[in-house]
Amino acid sequence: MSTLTQLVLSGILIGSVYALMSIGLTLIFGVLRIVNFAHGEFLMIAMYGGWAFSNLFGLNPYVAALAIVPAMFLFGAVVYWLVISPALDKPHLVVVFATMALSIFLQNAALMAMTADLRDIPPIFNRSITIGPIFLKVELLLGFLITILCTVGLQWMIKKTYLGKAIRATVQDGEAAMLMGIPVPRIFLITFAGGSALVGLAACVMVPLFSVFPSVGLNFVLIAFVIVVLGGMGSIEGALLGGICVGVMQSLSGYYIAPAFGQMFFFVLFLLVMIFRPNGLLGQKGAAMIGMNE
Amino acid sequence: MSTLLEVRHVSRSFHTTTAVDDISFAVQPGELLGLIGPNGAGKSTLFNLIAGVLPPSAGQILFDGKPVTGWKSHDIARIGIARTFQIPKPYRQLSVVENVMLSAFLREKSLAGARKLAETTLADVGLADYSGAPANSLTVGLLKRLEVARALAMRPKLVLFDEIMAGLTPTEVGVMTGFVAGLPARGITVIWVEHVLYAIMKTATRMVVINRGKLIAEGAPAVMARDPAVVKAYLGEEMVLA
Amino acid sequence: MSIAIPASISSRRIPVLPKRGQISWFEIVLLVISLGLVVSGIAPSLQDVILLSFLFAGLGLAWNIAGGYAGLISFGHSAFFGVGAYTSTILLLRYDISPWIGIWVGALIAAVFGSILALICARLRGPFFILSTLAFAEVVRIGALNWSSLTGGPEGLSIPPMASLAGMVFASKATYAALMLGYLVFVYGITKGLEASRFGYYLFAIRDNDDAASAAGVNPLLGRTAAMALSAALTGVGGSLFAQYFLYLDPTYVISPELSFQFALLPAVGGLGTAIGPVLGSFLITPLSELLRSHLGNAAAGLHLVIYSFGLIVVMLYFPAGLAGALNKLTRWKPFS
Repeated sequence: MSTLTQLVLSGILIGSVYALMSIGLTLIFGVLRIVNFAHGEFLMIAMYGGWAFSNLFGLNPYVAALAIVPAMFLFGAVVYWLVISPALDKPHLVVVFATMALSIFLQNAALMAMTADLRDIPPIFNRSITIGPIFLKVELLLGFLITILCTVGLQWMIKKTYLGKAIRATVQDGEAAMLMGIPVPRIFLITFAGGSALVGLAACVMVPLFSVFPSVGLNFVLIAFVIVVLGGMGSIEGALLGGICVGVMQSLSGYYIAPAFGQMFFFVLFLLVMIFRPNGLLGQKGAAMIGMNE
Repeated sequence: MSTLLEVRHVSRSFHTTTAVDDISFAVQPGELLGLIGPNGAGKSTLFNLIAGVLPPSAGQILFDGKPVTGWKSHDIARIGIARTFQIPKPYRQLSVVENVMLSAFLREKSLAGARKLAETTLADVGLADYSGAPANSLTVGLLKRLEVARALAMRPKLVLFDEIMAGLTPTEVGVMTGFVAGLPARGITVIWVEHVLYAIMKTATRMVVINRGKLIAEGAPAVMARDPAVVKAYLGEEMVLA
Repeated sequence: MSIAIPASISSRRIPVLPKRGQISWFEIVLLVISLGLVVSGIAPSLQDVILLSFLFAGLGLAWNIAGGYAGLISFGHSAFFGVGAYTSTILLLRYDISPWIGIWVGALIAAVFGSILALICARLRGPFFILSTLAFAEVVRIGALNWSSLTGGPEGLSIPPMASLAGMVFASKATYAALMLGYLVFVYGITKGLEASRFGYYLFAIRDNDDAASAAGVNPLLGRTAAMALSAALTGVGGSLFAQYFLYLDPTYVISPELSFQFALLPAVGGLGTAIGPVLGSFLITPLSELLRSHLGNAAAGLHLVIYSFGLIVVMLYFPAGLAGALNKLTRWKPFS
């Protein structure tokens, strides 16, 4: 029984970290109606950033986030300006190929710069928190807290601020928003850059938990997409819910089914969700079935 | 004469709302049946149920005496029911004649045969000059004609028109109305969903009026225009009767 | 009884799309040059590049049947390539079955894998379709790596380098070049045939509009599955040929996202949904990538991919219709329609 509790609790914590990583993706998807296939590579770059801060200056990644998050915001803005914005008025396939190419570009640039070696940072906290028979890693608890804060903050921003209202209007109907005087291109830029900044934050939370290598993004981008589908496109609380589901499933399947299966877990999970639940957990309008025709 | 299409106690609900609620009616060969109702009455859902886009939650649909309830739309197409789309759905990267050929394949298996049937059909709807043009170069009015051509190239027994007048100029509406009115004489039975009422009032041989998912009246157009239930349903809506 | 068109509209100049399925003079010239390259047997160092250009042109064309014609953008085609390569090689090594037969068995199994993928993705569109193909290939790759008793696991499989016609191993590169050209012509022929067939039109219809295709009596799921199976089978054939040429299967290469990406890249650069596009794409990119690979070698792993992913971004943003489209615009006589 305590094993089960342990597994579910760690699953919830790790799932919240996955959710943090997916919020940027779901926002970009919801607002721009495009998918950034290089999302995982953005995460990879930011994780290397966290690793570098730890390795070169001995800074822990939670502090390094103060530099990494703004840097990723800028990086996102530059990518938007160079790649995304020119592709927006072209057929949907252009965005697909362009961001796919960007993902290969970043992956191989990282391979050249960092080699394929796995990079880890030394442990930050040497002990776990113990509640009765249950152990929880401090890094995971911190990740959970940061995700909750981030979700609440974003929700507040979207409900209360002018920027948030403009974003919601754009999600509902871009053309109408434009007519209402909302500067839609700027909203796109801010969303894309902001989504990238969120990935930067997620990377800082993830560096103490996972190794970094050039193709690490592929695993994580698939989880992020599963979460977006499960939680519903553009929904922040949906992402949290979806992330926690994925985390718990991973934690349980890793223990009760073969651990060797772990290598395949993300891919099989992705396919299973696509087959059985393409409409998401709550049966929203199917993000997975939005086509590229028209 | 045997009934061509029979809709028996058909219902369809989405989650908690019932879009089509226990509707029954029948269509005889050679009829031009107008299907009208205010916005949100359930016309589109009923249309999609007949066309096989959605399966009904309850009830039966019979075509030529055969049950076709829950059939997929490509199977519905093969037994002789053609449809148009309210928002035209052309194959954008294909030429106009190729768009129509794809429908013609249902009757003509060879490329040459299908092309010939398609060209004839295009001439019929006045698109002959556009035969080689890419479909994405057409204006809305011409796209509506392309929709009609694609439906007719299937040589259907029954054709379902979904608001083929929306977005057309008054002149175009007039021409199209005359064209549709001529179809029953060519052996094609028509069910016509339309929001532009004056066009349909002039041409339909019979009308079915639905509101809030229920059939509220059925009969000749002139009678319908005076039916209290129909007038009430349209209250608050702009009722365009010529 | 017909509808008249107002004169004001009908007098306007109407653009006309070219007809499909005809062989243009440009294609014949290209074929003659290719044959010339094979027969003349010029510098051996070039032979490598030439025969790989042929092979990858065929693979690009195979991908294009799903991606360009049926609109099934797949980044998982290396799974089919790997299935083809492994099947013919395992049949040869274990059961002594000639690759001339093994290739077709491989194609068949690849077609089964293709159908499975199409069914998995039945309801998916857009980005989720693409990601599913990626995930599918990863599952196949990890499966192949772990099923060591069959696939040799991480060590891969080697074919003994003894030249024999029955074993499809040749001493001269010119013979391989002829084989690869044969493959290219075979896939090209199928593509051209598709363009001028009812089935081909069904695929165009499904690509351009599912609902409309269905309303015209076309079963979209059936069409998609058939297109994916055909594309997978032809990709599997390419995989077997690849194995017969290199005589070694490296499991980290034959099923990999990079390879899948390359299959998609060739038509994307050359011109998606055209027969000539993948050929132009391969004749441009394959020599380039071989050049980069041989000159930079392992000194800079990944550099060649950095260069062509960069190239692809530029091509996609500025020439979204690919080389064929760009050249068509440039020249009035449209050789690449």
